[in-house]
Amino acid sequence: MRVDPFYVTNLAASLDQTQSTEQQLTAELSSGAAINSLSDNPVAAGENALLLNQIQRDDSFTQSSGLVQGQLQVADSAMGGVVTQLTQAISIATGANNGTLNTSQLQSISNQLAGIRDEVVSLANTSYQGQYIFGGSQTSAMPFTISSSTTPSTATYNGDQVVNYLETPNGQRIQLNLPGTQIFPTSGSDSALQALNNLIADYANGASVQTSTSDTEALNTALNFISQQRVTLDNSLTRLTAASNAATSEKTQLTAAQTNLMQADLPQISTQLSLCESQQTALEDVIAQLGSGSLFDKLS
Amino acid sequence: MATISSAFDLIASALDADQSALSIVANNVANANTAGYTREVPNWQENAPIEIDGVSYGTGVTQTGPTSVRDAVLEERLTQQQQLASASSARLTALNALQAVFPPDSGSSSSTAGDIGSDLTGFFDSFSSLEANPTDNALRQQVLSTASTLAGDISNAAANLNSQRSALDQEASSVTGQVNSLINSIAQLNQQIQSTSANSDAGTLEDQRNQDISQLSQLVGINQITTDVNGLSLTTTSGQLLVSGESSQQLTSGVVNGATHFYLGEVDITSQLEIGGGQLGGDLTARDQDIPNALASLDQLAYSVATTVNAQNNAGTDLDGNEGTGTNANGVAGTGSTPLYIFTEPAQITGSALAMSVVMTDPNQIAAASFGNQNGDASNAVLMANLASQMTVQGQTPSNYYAQFVSQLGSTVSEVQNENTAQNASVTQLQTQISSTSSVNLNDEAASLQQFERSYQAASEVFTVLNTVMASALNLGVQTAVS
Repeated sequence: MRVDPFYVTNLAASLDQTQSTEQQLTAELSSGAAINSLSDNPVAAGENALLLNQIQRDDSFTQSSGLVQGQLQVADSAMGGVVTQLTQAISIATGANNGTLNTSQLQSISNQLAGIRDEVVSLANTSYQGQYIFGGSQTSAMPFTISSSTTPSTATYNGDQVVNYLETPNGQRIQLNLPGTQIFPTSGSDSALQALNNLIADYANGASVQTSTSDTEALNTALNFISQQRVTLDNSLTRLTAASNAATSEKTQLTAAQTNLMQADLPQISTQLSLCESQQTALEDVIAQLGSGSLFDKLS
Repeated sequence: MATISSAFDLIASALDADQSALSIVANNVANANTAGYTREVPNWQENAPIEIDGVSYGTGVTQTGPTSVRDAVLEERLTQQQQLASASSARLTALNALQAVFPPDSGSSSSTAGDIGSDLTGFFDSFSSLEANPTDNALRQQVLSTASTLAGDISNAAANLNSQRSALDQEASSVTGQVNSLINSIAQLNQQIQSTSANSDAGTLEDQRNQDISQLSQLVGINQITTDVNGLSLTTTSGQLLVSGESSQQLTSGVVNGATHFYLGEVDITSQLEIGGGQLGGDLTARDQDIPNALASLDQLAYSVATTVNAQNNAGTDLDGNEGTGTNANGVAGTGSTPLYIFTEPAQITGSALAMSVVMTDPNQIAAASFGNQNGDASNAVLMANLASQMTVQGQTPSNYYAQFVSQLGSTVSEVQNENTAQNASVTQLQTQISSTSSVNLNDEAASLQQFERSYQAASEVFTVLNTVMASALNLGVQTAVS
């Protein structure tokens, strides 16, 4: 049977093929990535894009949560300060309500309470990075002002009721702020500012002990209300920390999965490269042997 | 009774035949490396016997000329397979260039550069960051910066695809000249073959014709029909006549809507050539299908992202308190007079990718707040960040759409790669079969050379003996008179 006289050419083509495989393996070794073009593994390439998307989102959320944690902590700390001030005010008022103080002493109590009220208003006007945190969406204007034109004085809220949320990568909404009037209503039974203003007026104008006791109770109710509202912020902080930790942990897992998907298996590639080299050497030897000599050498 | 002189004639013809056989061997050896050469074998024919006094005597041998050893069926199969392999090879080259525009992002910062998938995530994430502090100028700048990166990368990819398409178009149009030259050559060879070897193998001429057909089949898809008088008709795979005997029809090209179209006479055969095979078929498939498909996906992505993001931003209030002109989810219309667009608003899907750009220059115009709210509100930023997980691009999220796009592109390349490998293997196999039949094997030629040389030597010896016998006869036994 006749054979293809150009079999050496075919062997050279095999040699080319081996060299091309070596080139690809070397590229994988040098880049460390098993998938250097989409066609190497189309499914993995698609999956990789989605994994990176999720990793990036987790990463971004962790950074954002770092930013808002500061704001929440400042808000919490401000509310802690308000609670301290109000507790002190209640203590002062309770002491003043025993009916033994003269007008001058009561006026002094009134002044002390006015100082506490101003401190509370200042805390309600707390800002973080130049933005008022209790003004709803109106973060550039001071949310609370006190008008002394009336007796008792009146508090005015200049903000709005907008609540901001931060969304976690899995769609949970974490509340980032409490609009001012949710903590410090300017009027009503839960209004610390109104109760304080009433007490200040009570002691300044010599109101009855009954009235001032009733207003002190109102301040106590308002304090409880503020403590309850503070829980909302504390919850947000807890949820934010948990969500941030979850995102970090998810990112770690996803990065491991993505690395596993994309990273070149070095021992396997080294083995394949070694096999390719052996094959190449063998082919070269065969070509060298077969390429020499023909029947013409024997003709004389 | 046969005479000595008839024996002289007989052996002289044997010497002639051997000489011509040796010449055929020499020609084979000389053309051992000539592309398309088909080895020839001498054709020995026993001369007609003569009958003298009722006894039949042989009259020697004649070498009637070389015969090319070819298998027409194998050659035609090779032609068919070659046009498929050339088509997939040309398409694969184009697809490899296409997929290089979308390299897989390994996750390292260097590989992220230019990756549209990462750009998309980075862009929508910048709105998530803005939720943390909607008045922060740095976070607002980040939104515009990631928007620019996204728009720039999509636009660059589209420009790259367009230039690849132009390059393919140019490559395809340059094939026309080669095709026409081969068609002319085949028609001329048809004429020569019909006039010289109407009923038999035309040897070298047929080699040339086969070589031309082989080259032509690598350029365009063709069908061949053998006619009587050893002629050949060629059509495109879809049946348009290219060569009929000694007449041929020229392929012409012209530009229609910015793309080269191909004509036979007045008929536009571009779409037929596209599915026909050959390099032209592969180039046209990449030019008219693969690249436009990829561009259409990018256009769709760019259009959906730009319009949905623009619409959402236009349905909010910016840092300066200006409302957009859009209507929000609650049906409330903005009071603004100028739309708050981040991207250039595309008018139609086609061309959106190339034209994608950021039109917003002032980061204050990012409408993080909802209508009616002040600049501390981030509810509209939340809605914009949420666009990342909404089915805004043909029923999929932008990232999923992109992931599916790269996956599909990779699958197409991989599919064509496998197809090409299989077709090349088949071509190699057929070439091996043809080579084993038709190529010059030097060992065979050495053996033939030896054989014909021996045969020539034997005939010479016979001639010498006959000469001696003749001398003896002429001298009637006296050896010195004639020697």
